[in-house]
Amino acid sequence: MITSVLVAVLFAALLSACGSSSKGGSGAKVTLAGSGSTFQQTFDQVVIQGFQDESSNITVNYGGGGSGQGKTDLQKKNVQFAGSDSLPKPEDLSSYQDGKLLYFPTVAAPITISYKLDGVSKLQLSDSTLAQIFATKIKKWDDAAIKADNPGATLPSTSITVARRADSSGTTSNFTKFLTAVAPSDWTLGSGDSVDWASDTQAGQGNPGVAQIVSQTEGAIGYVDLADATAAKLTTASIKNKAGKFVAPTLTGAAAAVASSTFKADLTYDPINASGAASYPITSPTYILVYQKQTDHDQGTALKSFLQYIYSKGEGQANDAGYAPLPAEIVTKAIAQLGKLQIAA
Amino acid sequence: MTAPTVSRRSSDVWGDRVFRAVALTAGLSVLAILALIAFVTTKQAWPIFRRDGFAFITGTKWDPTNGKFGALPFIYGTAVSSVIALVLAIPLSLGIALFTNELAPRRLRRPVIYAIDLLAAIPSVVYGLWALAVFERPARTAYQAIADTVGTLPGLGRLVGGNASGASFMTAGIVLAVMITPIVTAISREVLATVAQDDKNAAIAMGATRWEMLRMCVFPRVRSGLVGAVMLGLGRALGETIAVALVIGSSHQITSHLFKSGDSMASVIAHEFPEGQSDPTHRAALIGLAVVLFAFTILVNVAARWIANRTTEQAGASA
Amino acid sequence: MAPPPADSAAPEPSPEWWLGERSTSPRRRLVDAIASAWMIGAVALALVPLGLVLGYVVIKGASIVSWSFLSNNLPVITQFPGGGIWPAIGGTVLVTAVAALMAIPLGVLAAIYLNEYGRQQPLARVIRFMSDVMTGVPSIVMGLFVAMIWVSSGLHQGYSTFAGSLALGCLMLPIVIRSTEEMLKLVPDDLRQASDALGARRSRTVARVVIPAALPGIVSGSMLAIARAAGETAPLLFTIFGAQRVLQTNLLHGTNTTLSVVIWQNAQQPFPAAQDRAWGAGLTLIALVFLCTMVARFVSARFSTLET
Repeated sequence: MITSVLVAVLFAALLSACGSSSKGGSGAKVTLAGSGSTFQQTFDQVVIQGFQDESSNITVNYGGGGSGQGKTDLQKKNVQFAGSDSLPKPEDLSSYQDGKLLYFPTVAAPITISYKLDGVSKLQLSDSTLAQIFATKIKKWDDAAIKADNPGATLPSTSITVARRADSSGTTSNFTKFLTAVAPSDWTLGSGDSVDWASDTQAGQGNPGVAQIVSQTEGAIGYVDLADATAAKLTTASIKNKAGKFVAPTLTGAAAAVASSTFKADLTYDPINASGAASYPITSPTYILVYQKQTDHDQGTALKSFLQYIYSKGEGQANDAGYAPLPAEIVTKAIAQLGKLQIAA
Repeated sequence: MTAPTVSRRSSDVWGDRVFRAVALTAGLSVLAILALIAFVTTKQAWPIFRRDGFAFITGTKWDPTNGKFGALPFIYGTAVSSVIALVLAIPLSLGIALFTNELAPRRLRRPVIYAIDLLAAIPSVVYGLWALAVFERPARTAYQAIADTVGTLPGLGRLVGGNASGASFMTAGIVLAVMITPIVTAISREVLATVAQDDKNAAIAMGATRWEMLRMCVFPRVRSGLVGAVMLGLGRALGETIAVALVIGSSHQITSHLFKSGDSMASVIAHEFPEGQSDPTHRAALIGLAVVLFAFTILVNVAARWIANRTTEQAGASA
Repeated sequence: MAPPPADSAAPEPSPEWWLGERSTSPRRRLVDAIASAWMIGAVALALVPLGLVLGYVVIKGASIVSWSFLSNNLPVITQFPGGGIWPAIGGTVLVTAVAALMAIPLGVLAAIYLNEYGRQQPLARVIRFMSDVMTGVPSIVMGLFVAMIWVSSGLHQGYSTFAGSLALGCLMLPIVIRSTEEMLKLVPDDLRQASDALGARRSRTVARVVIPAALPGIVSGSMLAIARAAGETAPLLFTIFGAQRVLQTNLLHGTNTTLSVVIWQNAQQPFPAAQDRAWGAGLTLIALVFLCTMVARFVSARFSTLET
C-alpha cells in the first residue's frame, strides 16, 4: 500500500515536470493573451485565425468575458491587450499598472434590437418606445406605443421579456448611452457598463448569451451585436435615427454613422445617435486597448505585428464577419499610432 | 513442517504503527478539508458580512455596479426550485423503491435498478443542455396552456397565471426532480429493506393486501428513514449548479409565479464569479453566497444522515 | 384450494374462507390496485426522461461526431462549424486521471482506517459520518474553495489543470472512502483472524489479505467515482478556466478545457454550430462515463468473490 502511494506521488511529480512552458525562451513561440468585449469577438476570431496562418510562431488567445473583464484583466496585466467597446473612466486610469493606454479602434457595428415574435417579421421602434420597453414600463407587445410606431401591423398580446447583459459590458454602455441621449424622461437608469435593470429581466453572459435568450423565448427582446444576431438567425427591428428615419441595422447604416462621426486625436469617437439620414443610430465603436509602454520585447513585437495585421488585412475581412471597417484615413492614423508603442529592448 | 515463527521484530512493530498513522491521517483529511472549506470561505466572505450583516440575507437588491448585495432573491429561487423538485420526486422515488423491493418479479428488479442508476450517471451538464435545447420551448407552450386555463381560477392565478417562461423555476424544478430521483430511490430502497420479511409475511398471512401490509407494517417503521432519504435529495437539489444555471432564467425577481424566471445561489456564483472576482466587494459577496449555500447543505445533510442512520440502526437492533 | 364462496357476505362461511382469493372487499382490492399502478407508473415515468435525454444525445450527437471531430483542435471561430473537441477529451482524461491518483490512494487509506483500525470508536464514527456529509457538499463550493486556496488567493498559482484536479479530488474522496469501506466490510473476518493466527501484523494482514480480497470492489467503486468526476463542470469553472483550444500537457501551469466545460460554454450560445458542438461533446462525455460505469460493473461481477 505504501509503495503504491509512493508510486502515485512520483507519477504526479513526473507528469507535472514534463510539459513545456508557454513563453519562448529561445525566441521561438510567443503567446498573446487578450480578453474583453464579446461585441468584437467574432471579428477578433477571424483576424486571429488569419494572423496565425501567417505568423506560425505567435499564438493569440482571446477570452471574451465582456468589456469590464477585459479592462480589469489589463489593469492587472493578466492579458496583453483588452477588447472594449467603452473607454475606461478617467478616475480608473490610475489603476492601470504600466501607465498610459493607447486606444486602437478596429471596427464598428450596429447594436441590433433583436426580438422573437411569431408572425411579426418587421418592427419599427422610436426612441421613447424603445426606452420604455427596456425600462419594463411597456409590458405587452400590443401596447399602444408600439402600435403607434407600426401602423397597420398586427401585434399579439404576448408579454415582453427583456434580455440584457449579466456581465459588465461595453455593449450595454453604448446602448444605454443612446437611450439616455434620446429619451431621458423614459430611461432613468443612466448609462454605463452595468445598470440597475428591473428584477424580472433575464440576464445572459456576453452578446451570445443575450442572443440565446432572445432565440429561445417567445416575446423576448434584447440588444445584440450584428454578427451574433445574424449567426443566431434573429429578427431585428428598425430604429428611428436622429433625422427621423427608421433605419435597419445594416453595415451600410453603421458605415454611415461612422462616416459622420468626429475622431479625436487619440482615435476615439462616438457614433451613437449620429446625424445623417442613412445612419443607424445605435452604432457601436470598439477598441483594442494596449499599454504604450511594452515591457516584454517578444510580446510587444508580436502585439505590434498583430495590430499591423488588423489594419492591413483585417479591415478587409470586416464586412464578411459582420462589421463595418474604419474609414481609410483613420486606418492611416492608427498605423501611425503604432509607432508610439515603446517596446523594451 | 516447522511451526511458523511469530515475528516480533521492532521494525515490524514500527512499520505497523506508521501504517496506522498514515491511515489515520488519511481519515482525518476528510475533517481537515471540511473544516478548511468552512474557514476559508467564511474568512473571504467576511468583508461583506461585516459590512451588511444580516441585511445580506434579507436584502432583495443584487446590484454589483452600485455595491448592493442582497441575496434573498437567490435564496428564494434555490428554495422554490428545490421544493418543486421534492414535490415531483418524492412520489416518483417512493413508487420506484416500492416497486423494486415489493412488487417487481425477481427478473425485473436488477434491470430497473440499473436503469435508475443510469439516470444518476448522466452528467448534470448534459441534463442542462437537453433541458435548454430540447425541453424549454415545448415546456413553455405547456406552461402557457396551463396558465391560460387553470391559471385563470382565483387563487391559482398567483401560482401559475400570467405570462409563462420556458426558463423558469418550474423547468429548473423538473430537471432537479429527475436528477435527485436516483439518490432518494436508492436510500429509500435501503430503508425499506430493513423491515424483516417475517413481519411482512405475518401481515399477508392475516389477509392484508400488499398495500395494507405496507401501510400497517412497513411505513410506520421506516418513516424517519424515508424522511432522511428525502432530505438527502433536498441536499442534492440545493447544491446543483450547472443544470439549474442553464434553465432558471437568470432574473432577480421574487415571485410566487412558478412559471417565471428567477435565479439560484449556485447559478449566480457560476455565472458571476469569473468576472466578479476582480471587484473585492463583489467577490466577497459571491463567496458569501457560497457560505450560505454551504451552511444550508451541511445542515440538511447532517440532519438527513442522522435520521437515516437512526432508522437502519434501530432496525438492526430490533431484528 | 377451497372453491371461493359465491357471496363473501354469506352467513356461516366455510372454515377456509380466508384462504380464498375473493375474500377481500372490492374497495380494498381497488386501493391495492391503485397502489400497484402507482408503483409501476413511477418506474415508467422515470424511464421517460432517461429515454428522452439519452435518445436526443445519441441522435443529435451522432450526426456531428466523426473521427475528425474527435481528433481536431477546437476552432478559433466558435460560430462556424469545423474543428473538433480533442483538447477537451484530453483535458477530461488528464484532469480526472490526476484527481483519481490523488483521491483513490487517500480514500482507500482512510477507509482502511475506518474499517480496520477505528471501527466503532468515536473518532472513526465522526469521520465516517462526515464523509457521508461531504458527499453532499455542492461541487461549486469545492471549486470555489480550491480557487481560494490555490488559484487566486492563498498560493496564487493561477489557473491550471492541477487546480482542477484538486477540486475533483475533493469531490471524489468521500465517494471512494464510503464505497471502499463497504467493500472492506464484506471481507469475512475469518480471513483476518487466520492471518493474525499466522503471526502477521495488522498492516500486513490488510495489505496482503484484506485488500486483495476486496480489490475488485474497490476498483469498481473507484471507477464509479471517476465516472462521476469526469462529468463535473462546476468545480472546474474557477480552477481550470476552460479557454484553451489546444491540449496542454504542463499540468501545474497550463490550463485546459474539458468536455463538460465545452458543453457548458457552447450550450449557452445560440449558433447552430455551437449547439452541434455541445451535442457532440455530450455524446462523447456520456460514452466515456458509461464506459467507466460498465467497466466498474464488469470488474465487480466477474472478479468479485465476496458475497454482497
